[in-house]
Amino acid sequence: MKAGLKKYLQIVIKYNTVFIFLIMLVVSALVSDVFFTSANLFNLVRQVTPVGIISMGMLLVILTGGIDLSVGSIVAMVGVLCAFFSQTIPLPLTILASLACGLLVGSLSGYLVAVHKMAPFIATLALMSIVRGLGFIFSKGAPILVNENNSALTDFGSGSFLGFPNPSFVLLLIFAITAVLLNYNVFGRIIIAIGSNEEAVRLSGIKVALYKFSVYAIAGGLSAVAGILTTARTAVGSPVIGGGMELDVIATVVIGGASLSGGKGSAINTLLGVLILGMIGNIMNLMNIPAYSQQVIKGLIIIFAVLLQRFHTDKN
Amino acid sequence: MNRVELRNISKSFGGIAALSNVTLKVMPGEIHALVGENGAGKSTLMKILSGAYTKDTGKIFIDDLEVQIRNTHDSKKLGIGIIYQEFSLVPELSVAENVFLNKLGVTGFWMNWSKIKKKAEELIQSIGFNIDTSLKAGDLSIAEQQIVEIAKALSENVKVLILDEPSAVLGPQEIVKLFDTLKKLKKEGVAIIYISHHLGEIFQIADRITVLKDGTSSGSLLVSETDKDSIIKLMLGRSLDKMYPLRDPNIGEEVLKVVDISKGEKVKGVSFMIKEGEILGIAGLVGSGRSETVRAIFGADKPEKGRIFLSGGEVKFRSPWEAVRMGIGMVPEDRKQHGVILSLTIKENISLTNLMGIIDHFGFINAKKEKNNTIELIRKLAIKTDTENQEAGKLSGGNQQKVVLAKWLNRNCKIMIFDEPTRGVDVGAKIEIYNLITELSQKGVAVIMISSETSELIGMSDRIIVMRKGQVQGNLTKKEFSEESILRLSIGVNKNTVSG
Repeated sequence: MKAGLKKYLQIVIKYNTVFIFLIMLVVSALVSDVFFTSANLFNLVRQVTPVGIISMGMLLVILTGGIDLSVGSIVAMVGVLCAFFSQTIPLPLTILASLACGLLVGSLSGYLVAVHKMAPFIATLALMSIVRGLGFIFSKGAPILVNENNSALTDFGSGSFLGFPNPSFVLLLIFAITAVLLNYNVFGRIIIAIGSNEEAVRLSGIKVALYKFSVYAIAGGLSAVAGILTTARTAVGSPVIGGGMELDVIATVVIGGASLSGGKGSAINTLLGVLILGMIGNIMNLMNIPAYSQQVIKGLIIIFAVLLQRFHTDKN
Repeated sequence: MNRVELRNISKSFGGIAALSNVTLKVMPGEIHALVGENGAGKSTLMKILSGAYTKDTGKIFIDDLEVQIRNTHDSKKLGIGIIYQEFSLVPELSVAENVFLNKLGVTGFWMNWSKIKKKAEELIQSIGFNIDTSLKAGDLSIAEQQIVEIAKALSENVKVLILDEPSAVLGPQEIVKLFDTLKKLKKEGVAIIYISHHLGEIFQIADRITVLKDGTSSGSLLVSETDKDSIIKLMLGRSLDKMYPLRDPNIGEEVLKVVDISKGEKVKGVSFMIKEGEILGIAGLVGSGRSETVRAIFGADKPEKGRIFLSGGEVKFRSPWEAVRMGIGMVPEDRKQHGVILSLTIKENISLTNLMGIIDHFGFINAKKEKNNTIELIRKLAIKTDTENQEAGKLSGGNQQKVVLAKWLNRNCKIMIFDEPTRGVDVGAKIEIYNLITELSQKGVAVIMISSETSELIGMSDRIIVMRKGQVQGNLTKKEFSEESILRLSIGVNKNTVSG
C-alpha cells in the first residue's frame, strides 16, 4: 500500500508539468463556468500565442545555459517597424524586413555572447534597453497604425481558422519544429550538450560559438514573429507593448521544467508551461481578481511549480 | 580498539547490489588500503562513511561506539574527513577561505583575514608544502588543489581521513611529501583509509589491505604477509600475466612536427615530431607544461608562438574544431570537466565527435545507425552497462574513461593525444586501455601519451620526451628508457651533479 503510493507520487513528480497543467484545467473548470466556453478558450489561446512563440526560442537559449532578456523589447520594436514598413513597402517585404530586424538584434546578442564571451544576462540586458529605446525613437513615442490598404496582414492577425485564432497555428508550427529539432536533429543534440558541459563539447571538436550564436539569433527571430503577429492582430505598432514579457517567457520555460543552468528542458513541457501561465492569468481575470493580486498569485504559483521540479531532480 | 568499524554494510541502487555485507576495521594510527577494480564498491563504501550515501543495512562504529551517519554534516562532526578524486574547492575563493570554508567565523563576527590566512599557511606548511594562500583555488594546479583539500580536512581535527586516489594527480616528488604527511598523521593516531590503484604505493605506505570485488570484501590482509600478485589475483579473480601488450612497431612517415611552441609561463619553446604508428611518451612532473603543450597543439588554447606541421604542411588551429577536422583527437586530462559529459547518456557522449557520420542532409540523426555504432563501441571497449542510454555520470571512473576513449575511436583520427589516459582507473581497465592504444598504433595512428606513471610510459612508448618547466629536457630512445633517467630529467638533476 505504502509502496504503491510512493510509486504514484513518483510518477506525479516525474510528469509534474503535465499534472500542474491538468490541475489547472480542473480548477479553472470548477471556479468558473465561463472557462470552458469557446469564446474564452479562443481568447486564452490568442493571449498566450506571442509568449508561446518566443518561449521556444528562449528554451533553446536556456538549454545552452544562457538567457535572453531582450525579447520583449524586440516585440515592441519589430511591432512598430512592421506597422511603419506596411505604409511604405509591399506586405511580403514588410514581413521579411521585420523578421530581419529581429534576427539582427538576436545576432548581435549572439555575437557578444559567443564571440566576446560576454555574460548572456549582461549582453541581453543592454540590448533590452537599446532596442526598447529604438522602438520609441522609430515611433516617436506614439503608436503607428498599419496601412489600411494592407488588410491582408490585419485580416490574418485577427482572423481564425477551425475555431482557433490564425496566429495560434504559427505557434503550433514553431512548437513542432522546435520539438523535432530537439529530439531528432543534430542541432538540438549539440545545444543540449553545450548546456551540459560547454568545454567538453568544444574539446570534442564542435564549433560551440556558432551554436551559441545561432540560438540567440533564433530567439530574436521568433520575437520578431511575435511582434509581427501582435501588430497584425491589433492593426497598430506600439512601442510600449512587451514590457516585462521576457519575465513571462522565462517563467513559462522554467515552469516547463527547464534548468536555468542549461542542458535540461523540452519543447512540449515548455508549451504546457505557456498554457499553465496563460490559464493562471485567464482564470484570475474571469474571477475579477485585481491586477495587483494577480501578480502576487502568479509569482507564488511559479515558486510552487519550480519547487516541485527541484523535488524531482533531488530524487534523481 | 578500532577507530572506525564498518560492519556488514549493504547498499543497493535500484535493485542492483553495490555492496553486500562488507566489513572494514581500521585502528588508530593505521593506514589501511582499500583496493579493487572500478565499480567494486570502494567509492560507495566511502560515501556511506562520509554521509554522502546512507547504508541500507549494517552498522558503523567510531571508537567502538555505534554512530548514525545520516548526512555529511554528521560524519564531519564525528571527525571523518574525506578527500574525493574530484575536488570540492570553490574555485573563485582564495586558498585560505577554502581551507576555513566551514568555519569562517573562527575569528568572531568580523573576519580577521590576516589571521585566517596565517592559520591556513601554517596548516599547509605543517604538511610540508608552500602555497600562497591568497591565490584563488581555481588558479592552482591539480596537485596543489589536493594539498589544499588535505589542509581543509586537517582543519577539522579529523580522526579518520579517507583519501580517494590521492596520488593520481601527483608527481613522484609530491607523492613522497604526501607520504610524509600521512606518516605524521599516523603518529597522531589518525586512522587513514587509502584508496589507490597503485599497488606499489600501497606496499610502501599501508599497514593492511582490504580488497573489494563486486561489492564483497575478501577480508583484510597484512601488507607484510602478502604480495602484489596475490592482491591482483584477489582483485581480478585471475592472474595478471603481462601489463603491457607485445607490439611490433610499424613506424612510417612523419605526421606531426611541432616547432618552438610557446604559451604563457607553462610552455616555453617546445619542439618535437612524431611518425605514423609511433607512440611518443611525454614525461614530466605535474606542472611541467605537458598538458598545456598538447592543448596548444590541439587548438584548445591558442599558442603565442611556434609552428605546427601536419605531414609537412603548416597548419594553424584556432579551435579544437579545426584540429579534429584535420584528424587530431585528444583525450583530456580532466575526465569529468573536459572528457565525459556526465548528464548525457553513453550514446550521446560517444556520438559527439562524429555527429556528421550519423546524420542525413538535414541534420536528422539516424537513430538506428547511432545505436548500432554505440553498441559496437560499448562491446569493443567492454564498458560495463546494461544500455547505451545509461547516463555517463552513473558509471564508475574507469568506465567513464572508456566512454571518452570510445568517443575518439568513433572518429578515426590520424593522431591521438592521450593525456593521463589511465588516471584513477583500475588494473583491469588499464590493461584494456593499453591494448587499445597499441591497436591504434598498429593501425598507423600516431599516439602522443602523457603520463605521470613512469613505468607505464616505459612499457608503452617507442620514444619518450621529458619536460621540465615548460621545456623539453630530454629525448630518450627505447634503449635509454629507465625510471631513473626519466626522473633525473624531470627534476633537472643529471648524473654529474649528483656524483660531483
